[in-house]
Amino acid sequence: MHTSDMNTHFDPFVIPFTLGVIYLFAVVVWRYVKWFAELPEADRRAFRHALFTVRSLKAVREVVEEALLHKSILRVNPLLWYMHLSFALGWFLLIVIGKFETSAYLKEAFNPPHVHVFFRYFYPEEPFRFHRGFNYAFLMDAVLLFILSGVALAWFKRLRASWLGMKKTTKHTRGDRMALAALWVVFPARLLAESATCGIHQTGDFLTHSTGMALAGMVGPDALRMMELPAWWIYSLALGMFFVAMPYSRYMHIFTEVPHIFLRHYGIRGGDKPGSADNFQIQACSRCGVCIDPCQLQSAAAMNDVQSVYFLRDRRYGLLTDPVADNCLMCGRCETRCPVHIDLNRLRLNSRTARAEKAVPLTDDRYAYLRGEDRSEGTGKVGYFAGCMTLLSAPVMTAMQRIFDAAGEEVWWADKAGGVCCGRPLKLSGETDAARRLMDYNKALFEKHGITTLVTSCPICLKVFREDYHLEGIEVIHHSQYFLRLLEAGRLKLKASGATLTYHDPCELGRGLGIYDEPRAVLARLGTLAEPKQTKKHALCCGGSVANFVLNSQQENRIATDAAAVYAATGAETLVTACPQCKSTFRRNSALPVSDLAEAVAAALEVPASAHRIPAAAGRTAAPAAS
Amino acid sequence: MVDWGYTINKPRAIAYDANDHTWENALQEAVPVLRSCIGCGNCTATCTAGNFVPFNIRKLQTLVRRGEYAGLRKELDKCMLCGKCRLVCPRGINTRKMIVTLKRLLAQPVAAGIPVAPGAASTAGQR
Amino acid sequence: MENTIAIIGGGVAGMQAALTLKELGMRPVILEREERLGGKLNTWDRLFPTWTPAREVLDPLLEAVRGAGIEVRLGAAVEGVSPDGRGVTLAGGERLAAEAVVVASGFDLFDARLKEEYGYGIYDNVITSADLETMFREKRVLTADGRVPRRVAILHCVGSRDEKVKQNHCSRVCCITGVKQAMEIRELYPECEVFNFYMDMRMFGPGYEEIYRQSQEEYKVVHIRGRISEVSPTLDGRLQMKTEDTLIGRPMKMEADMLVLLVGMCPARSNRSLAVSGNLSLGDSGFFAAADAFRGNTRCGENGRIFFAGTATAPKNVGESLNEGTAAAWQAYRSVKGGASW
Repeated sequence: MHTSDMNTHFDPFVIPFTLGVIYLFAVVVWRYVKWFAELPEADRRAFRHALFTVRSLKAVREVVEEALLHKSILRVNPLLWYMHLSFALGWFLLIVIGKFETSAYLKEAFNPPHVHVFFRYFYPEEPFRFHRGFNYAFLMDAVLLFILSGVALAWFKRLRASWLGMKKTTKHTRGDRMALAALWVVFPARLLAESATCGIHQTGDFLTHSTGMALAGMVGPDALRMMELPAWWIYSLALGMFFVAMPYSRYMHIFTEVPHIFLRHYGIRGGDKPGSADNFQIQACSRCGVCIDPCQLQSAAAMNDVQSVYFLRDRRYGLLTDPVADNCLMCGRCETRCPVHIDLNRLRLNSRTARAEKAVPLTDDRYAYLRGEDRSEGTGKVGYFAGCMTLLSAPVMTAMQRIFDAAGEEVWWADKAGGVCCGRPLKLSGETDAARRLMDYNKALFEKHGITTLVTSCPICLKVFREDYHLEGIEVIHHSQYFLRLLEAGRLKLKASGATLTYHDPCELGRGLGIYDEPRAVLARLGTLAEPKQTKKHALCCGGSVANFVLNSQQENRIATDAAAVYAATGAETLVTACPQCKSTFRRNSALPVSDLAEAVAAALEVPASAHRIPAAAGRTAAPAAS
Repeated sequence: MVDWGYTINKPRAIAYDANDHTWENALQEAVPVLRSCIGCGNCTATCTAGNFVPFNIRKLQTLVRRGEYAGLRKELDKCMLCGKCRLVCPRGINTRKMIVTLKRLLAQPVAAGIPVAPGAASTAGQR
Repeated sequence: MENTIAIIGGGVAGMQAALTLKELGMRPVILEREERLGGKLNTWDRLFPTWTPAREVLDPLLEAVRGAGIEVRLGAAVEGVSPDGRGVTLAGGERLAAEAVVVASGFDLFDARLKEEYGYGIYDNVITSADLETMFREKRVLTADGRVPRRVAILHCVGSRDEKVKQNHCSRVCCITGVKQAMEIRELYPECEVFNFYMDMRMFGPGYEEIYRQSQEEYKVVHIRGRISEVSPTLDGRLQMKTEDTLIGRPMKMEADMLVLLVGMCPARSNRSLAVSGNLSLGDSGFFAAADAFRGNTRCGENGRIFFAGTATAPKNVGESLNEGTAAAWQAYRSVKGGASW
């Protein structure tokens, strides 16, 4: 038994720790209660309904797998995983085992947290007593060593991020730096304090006993006695400082990841406009920086302060600026890698909504000029919506016409003579409500013409048709899906050229809507498909995204040139894509010729091309560029 | 008020020196490449909104660059931000950034007395 | 062999350089990628601003080259040039030793298919200015189904001053070509209306502005200031074009039977391999960068033995290219024979 009061287990040095704990829990509870209370009623209802379902069990499982074991990071980077694991699991075990140790020794179920945190100080003799029973001291030493190995890695990461396989690591705020400094001190301080106590009392297990004896040997018993209490003070102060700084640092994610996982499993994710659910997501970010490496703005355009991690940081602290909110391709490459599964695109978008609503008042007569307009042509159960960008591509428009003709399809052309934008580009600027007007116009137009299938060549349009239009009785498909259906139904016959083709997954089509297989199935009937190094959900963005409101064309070109090189490296003859925007961006930056899937299909039609064309003028030269 | 391109302008000279150039300068700072506009009219020709309603994005930005802001709010509301103009601009101007920037500028208080919309001269001051 | 000067390209500039060098007692060897001499001039009909048939310029040159006994190698594509100007490498690896090199490799025409919105290669009656020259040579400018066009539109700056196809430079000669071709169509079919869609009219040469004015006053060619944004076919087989009449400030739609795209001059694709092998600099536009824009515009550097003539360095007209042939020849001669730099 230590010299201090054994009944209350009190010594003044526990005060910083205790105050810190109280402060931390007060803040965390206050925040969660507030955020939960601010959720829309529908979300709260969903929460209540889901609480006692299997979804909760799944959430618990994910909490263990992710919050404690960090399995996602393991897949991305094993060393980084070990570092996170040692902190998360190690600290968790230190608390749990410490609690058991204390309760078992004191034979009481409940005692204040500082008792087990500073247990070794109050009961330095305990380890020997327990040798006969369960060796808690050994476990506690093992866990401490485990954590300290993580601390060492963290120090190393600060020095040399690249050693951990990360090209870029995150920058910190003041709260982060305070918490980080404290965190770095906490465990070495614990080791020092426990070593001092164990050295004085000649107790401890393999770690603390050894370090304690070594320490005693080095400084002598008197000096060791003098430094014991200061060491525990440092430990307590470091803990207290960490707990106070924690709510204002990225370490808030330690707790917030838990409710975030539950809410995700309950399908409560927030929407197009900022809401309370966003808080859980934003604060669940550990700022691990995994989102930085896949960002092409960083790798191709040397923009290093706009990635999701910085965006979330700025948004969390109310420091978000237009250049950060606007500068994102929303390609979703980071989202697929985020170990915490934060809806990064949705958060970026709804931050724009908040900003746009402040800047742009929505007037009643916005787009009133569209009232009564109908420029569509033709009739048919199948509708075709080219989209603004496709309208600029004569080859794609002609190819679609030829394919429809070859399949004998009666088509209603929604926008051949100029249509109304699908609304997604406007929505991406944050003007969600104004975009709704455009959507309402198009929706009414589609319904008026009685189509049952809507085909579009533009993945941007496709995404908004599927996610925001709520078209009853109209199936919306991408032209790649439509072609595959025609082929499978035997309505189109293609002649394979045997050429080697490579395929670029447009962001909105692939990561955005999960359509990866149909374009490839179509291409497989045209030639040999050569997959690039980064493909499908890891495919690169062309750089021309309408979601970005900052890039100039030189920057766009740099991103596109980088990406185009990946396709050229496949050795393919042609780069095929399925988005008019990607095609346009790649065309001026690609060494390979670029074509849309529709062009590739039309060119391979077994109907002779001349059947649809008037013979060329006599004096016409075939290929002007050959001269 | 200046009509944005669909009737011949009223015979009023642009009082360049008397005009307020705050927004003009802010716009050009945000989208410097706008200075390189050669006025080819491709943006206006291809404009999705312009297919339905008198809307001239080329003239809109040129007027702003002369410090002429009358009716700007109302005009900007016509744009669908579809980005077709950006795809055809031979100078590579980020026209969508231009529109978004102008909308934000309108929401900021600037020197008093700039009529941004008929009957709503105080719009700028309020926001 | 002694006094050998390799001339890359047998267009007007290359031939003129060869003739000058021959006269100076040197041994010029013309290396021409195609199977005939003459370059682009072979495909033009009549030349601005005088309506001189291209043959009247070309034939005397060909005659002179033949008469002077200048060595010509056809089908000889040059792949590399020695940085010291002491020879070139031909496709296939053959090396030709020389004492100096004149790069007169010319330009490529812009591939109009890259401007998808105009539908070249898709819509039959969208043609390029080069196609139109071929038609002029046959004295027939007809639509794909053999009709005389009632209205022809001519679009300037296709593949010039256009960031979207990475051709930022002005090709210079298209403006005057557009005016010339408009007038020629009016001469051929007085009933046919001709509209030129332009951004700026750059009438840079002697007599150019005069014929521009003549096209307006006498030939009644209509010049509309606006770039065509897109073309679509109409049900009756015509073309509908969208533009903005920027002088009025209103969008404009117009139908025509034929659209002529005034395709610009692009740097020749061989520029890159020549530049890399010969340690020559290319300008931002991709044309060769001469030593300076005044006294050194046919030289590659202070003491180099590689010289430029014609459109290898920038878009030029025929006369300018001929002059540069002579200038480059003199520079090459002096570099071999010695003598102070001028």
